[in-house]
This record gives sequence, C-alpha cells and structure tokens, in this order.
Amino acid sequence: MLLETIRLALRSVRRNVLRSFLTLLGIVIGVAAVIAMLTIGSGTTAKVRSDISALGSNLLTVRSGRPPTPGQPPVRSNRPLEDKDVTALRAHLLGARAISGASQKTVTVVSGTESLSVSVTGSDTGYFDARNLAVIDGRLYSDAEIRSGANVCLVGETVRQQFFGSASPLGSTIRVGRMSCDIIGLLEPKGYTGFGQDQDNVVMMPLTTFQRRIAGNRNIETIYVAADDATPTSELQTRIEDIIRDTRRITADKEDDFNVRDMTQIADAMASATSTMTGMLSAVAGVSLLVGGIGIMNIMLVSVTERTREIGIRLAIGAHEKHILIQFLVEATVLSVLGGLIGIAIGLALAGAASLALSIPFAPSLAVVLMAVGFSALIGMVFGFFPALRGARLDPIEALRHE
Amino acid sequence: MAEAPLISFEKVWKTYGEGEARVHALAGVDMSIERGDFVAIMGPSGSGKSTSMNIVGCLDAPTKGRYGFLGIDAGRLDRTRRAILRNLHIGFVFQGYNLLPRTTAAENVELPLIYRGMASGERRKLAMQALGEVGLEGREHHTPAELSGGQQQRVAIARAIVTRPTLLVADEPTGNLDTARSHEIMELMTRLNADYGLTIVMVTHEPDIAAYARRTIAFRDGQIASDTLRAEAA
Repeated sequence: MLLETIRLALRSVRRNVLRSFLTLLGIVIGVAAVIAMLTIGSGTTAKVRSDISALGSNLLTVRSGRPPTPGQPPVRSNRPLEDKDVTALRAHLLGARAISGASQKTVTVVSGTESLSVSVTGSDTGYFDARNLAVIDGRLYSDAEIRSGANVCLVGETVRQQFFGSASPLGSTIRVGRMSCDIIGLLEPKGYTGFGQDQDNVVMMPLTTFQRRIAGNRNIETIYVAADDATPTSELQTRIEDIIRDTRRITADKEDDFNVRDMTQIADAMASATSTMTGMLSAVAGVSLLVGGIGIMNIMLVSVTERTREIGIRLAIGAHEKHILIQFLVEATVLSVLGGLIGIAIGLALAGAASLALSIPFAPSLAVVLMAVGFSALIGMVFGFFPALRGARLDPIEALRHE
Repeated sequence: MAEAPLISFEKVWKTYGEGEARVHALAGVDMSIERGDFVAIMGPSGSGKSTSMNIVGCLDAPTKGRYGFLGIDAGRLDRTRRAILRNLHIGFVFQGYNLLPRTTAAENVELPLIYRGMASGERRKLAMQALGEVGLEGREHHTPAELSGGQQQRVAIARAIVTRPTLLVADEPTGNLDTARSHEIMELMTRLNADYGLTIVMVTHEPDIAAYARRTIAFRDGQIASDTLRAEAA
C-alpha cells in the first residue's frame, strides 16, 4: 500500500516536472548549502589538525610575552628570549626529545636575475627533529657551522623550483637579504597549510648566522621543545615554565613574561573554531530549508485544490480520510526527499570542487548525508500535513461537484 | 415474514441552511427498495432526487429520520464507517464518468480494491475480469483520453462492479452520451441486474432511460410524487 502510494506520488511529480522542480529549488539550495558547508568544514578541520600535527607531535613552543588572557589583548614583552634560556632548558629539562631556538623573518632571496620573497628561519639542528623536517638531498648544518655562524643554508622545494627548476641546488650560492650563502641541502616538500601558506617557500640556516646576518640581534623568537614519548606535554609545560622563570629571574609575585603553548591545544582550539564557523554557516543555510518547506506547502495546497475531484472519486469509492491524508503526505515527502537527494548531490559536488581548489581533504560524512535525507523528509511531512489534512477533510459530494 | 428490504427510508428529512434560508431537500420521505431491484429516480432539479441518491449511496446522512441499509442504521455512521460501507457494498457510476485522468483503464478499475488493501496481482486479475464483463477486453492500458465517452462509462461501470457490490448507484449515467451509446450502457446495466442480481438505483431525467428500470420513483418538492412499477414487471 505504501509502495503503491510512493509510486503514485512519483507519477504525480513527473506529471508536473517544471512545477515540481521549482518547488524543490528551495530544498535543493538549502540542503546543498548545508552539505557543502559541513563537508568543507570537516575537511578544513581535518586539514588544520594534520597541519598542526605535522609541525611535530608533542610539540611545545615558548615565546616571549605574557600568556594571553581572555578579554585582553596579548601583550608583547620587550624582553625577548635569549640563548641562555635555550642553554638552561638543554641543561635542566627532563623528558624532552629535542630543543631548539628559532627565529624567522620574511626576506627577499635573489639568485641571478630571479628574486623571491621567502620565509627564512634560523635554528639549531634540534628544530628539524622537533618539527619533523627532513633533508632529502645534501646535509644538515653541523654543530661547528652553528657555532661559527657559517654562511650555509637549506632551501625548500618552492625556492628550488624558482631558482633552479628541476636541477639540484646543492653547491650553488644565493643571496638572502644582504648575505650570500651556500646551499648545502634540500628540504622535503610539505605542501600548503590549511590557511594557504606555502610550507616549501623557506630557507633554513644556523640560528647564529640568522642572528648576525639577517636579524642583527641575539634575540630568539621561539623555542621549540618536543616531548619524548614517555612525557605528557602538560607536565613538560610546567617544567619549562619553572626553568624559564628561573633563568629570567621572575619572582613568585610576578607573572610570566613568556608563554608556553601546546600545539595539540592549538589544534583543538582551531578545529573547534572551524566547526563553530561551519555550524553557524550551516544554520544560515538551514533557513532556506524553511523557505523550501513553505514552497512545498504552497504547491501541495495547489495540488489538493486541483485534484479536488479526484479526492471526491477516491472518497466515494471507499478511501478513508486516512488514505487521502497519507497520499498527499507521501507526495509532499517524496517531493522534499527528492529535493534533498538533488541537494546532497550538488552539495557534495560543490564540496568536492572546493576541496580541490583549497587543497583540503574531501571529507563527506554518511551521518550528515543521512541527516539531510531525514531532515528533508521531515520538512515534507511537517509542511505537507496541513494541505493533506485539508484534502482528507473534503466532503465527497462537494468534491465530486468541483469543476 | 418477508426479507428486510435492502434500503429503507423512514421519515427521512434533509435540511440545508439555517433560519429563513432553510431548505428542506427531503421532507419526511418513506420508501424501501428490495434487493435485486432496478429503480429509476426521476424528478425536476431541486426535487430531492440527488439528495436521496447521496443518502442511498452513503455519501450523505439524513438530518432527521432513519436510513437503513442492509439492516444497518447507516445514517448514524461516521465518515470512516460510511467509507467502509461504500467500499464493501456500493459501486458508483457518475454522469461525467469521473475516471482519474492520465491513469489507465485497468488502474482506474483497480482503485476501489487498493483501498481494500488487496495485493496488486489479485487486483489486476479482478480488474481484467470486470473490464471483460463490460466488453472492454484489450483496452486495459488505454487512458480515459484515449477512450470514447461510451467506453469511459463502461470503465466506470467496471470500476463500480469490480468489488462485487450489493448496490450500484448511478447518477445520470447516460447524461453525456448520444442515444445509441445510452442504450448500450442501459442494456449493460440491465444485464448486470439480471445476471448478478445487482440492485441498481439510478437517477435520470430521461423517461426512455427510466423505462429500463423495473420501478420508477418520481420526486417533487422533497417528497415522493409517484412510485410506479413497469407494466410487464408488475
């Protein structure tokens, strides 16, 4: 009986293809927007997480400046981190796999007639371990080179392509700012971050070289600490805070003028920010589902009026109110589920296109798709109920007389 | 004692409107119709013939008085029970055929069986049989638009008899047909009455159509003006 009714409903939808399609448009747009939003959103979240975990697992960063408190702007301390902070951590910190100071600046790099604006980082060798960077050609700088501040550097894939095409950059010299340096290694490509930042447009050099030739001071921007597998990052964070407070002689009554951050926490925060954002956008898109529902109600009222005579015939030959109610309810539901299915297809196609364009993973969720189907069915039932009831309540004699 | 009549009206009133605008469509009608009878109801418009037919067909209920159908006080039944009664015992044939458009003859005939919850295989079988009885073999896949008026009315009759009803209610069944087609339809109805003992109550205003019936009841101003048996049947 239900199957019969669904077949009947599909036939009635087919009879008015254009009208049905226009009616569905609201639902189609609503569902497509929600599906696209949620799919792109979860793709972005996944990308953000993988980017941050690619920075290095169990990674903590130390920067100068008071830890941010909610409701207040972050305060930059005028007291930067220094070599002695790194030295103290190396000497006293337990449970760390790798420790490295690092500073960063965007500098114009020149080779021959080509130039490129590149993110240049000065670091110790521990940085590579802490941030999971690998050298795929050539070598890392040695401790001796770090001590002497040698003019050596490693380049990322984007820099290589800009200056050397597919040739090996090893042994060539490039100008980084005002210094020239010899390329001793090529970094493994890492691609773009979820925020569209090219992680391969980089030059790495010893921290001492960076401080002397690029920054012109002895400051350290960030200290990276990677926890070993046995040590939880929260515990390591406390130990780092104790040691740095000591080296910076911060008395117990003073607040920290540096902050230690756990990258997994940042990942969580960013992921939750992304999902809040997508949730809000989806809610806005959901409003068009409501509009679509009203469209369905309207067309069902028209349909009931148009088919008053048919309802009269059906009632006369023995249909119950219930049968007529179900018939129109099923028709409204079939209509809106059809819209939902088209919307899902369009939404997934949009999300697929977006994930290609933004190079984020395409992450369709079965739960979201099922929810969309269920929700559009619900809309059909809710907005189809009143017109269906109106049809079911018709007086068979009046209905048969209807022209 | 004789078997109770299939249909009995006892002081049946049907009143429309309120106060000044009150109209008595039926004003205390008494009548009874036996099982297997073929009755024509005649009368000018506004005489109460359509109202009495709607009550006979359980489409409407009297305002006052008792309408007995199959010994049941059918006038007191609610909408759903009347629908069940119609589905089980009454077939309808209308002036305008009232077939579902863009729906094949077979599907139209199957319609009352759907509301009985019958499986589609059996439905199709009974529909084909009913279409055969009205002489429409081979037309089962035609839609009403592809059939002539006479053929459409045959489909409507097939739809009315597919449920093997006790009573066939026909409202001006030949009103839209030419004379030749009208007589074909009437011969078909006469045959159904004779072969199956199908009780027929037919509203018409054409005397030569009413002449097919065994009994003719004429209404005037909400009351029965005359009730005559056909000469050879008497």
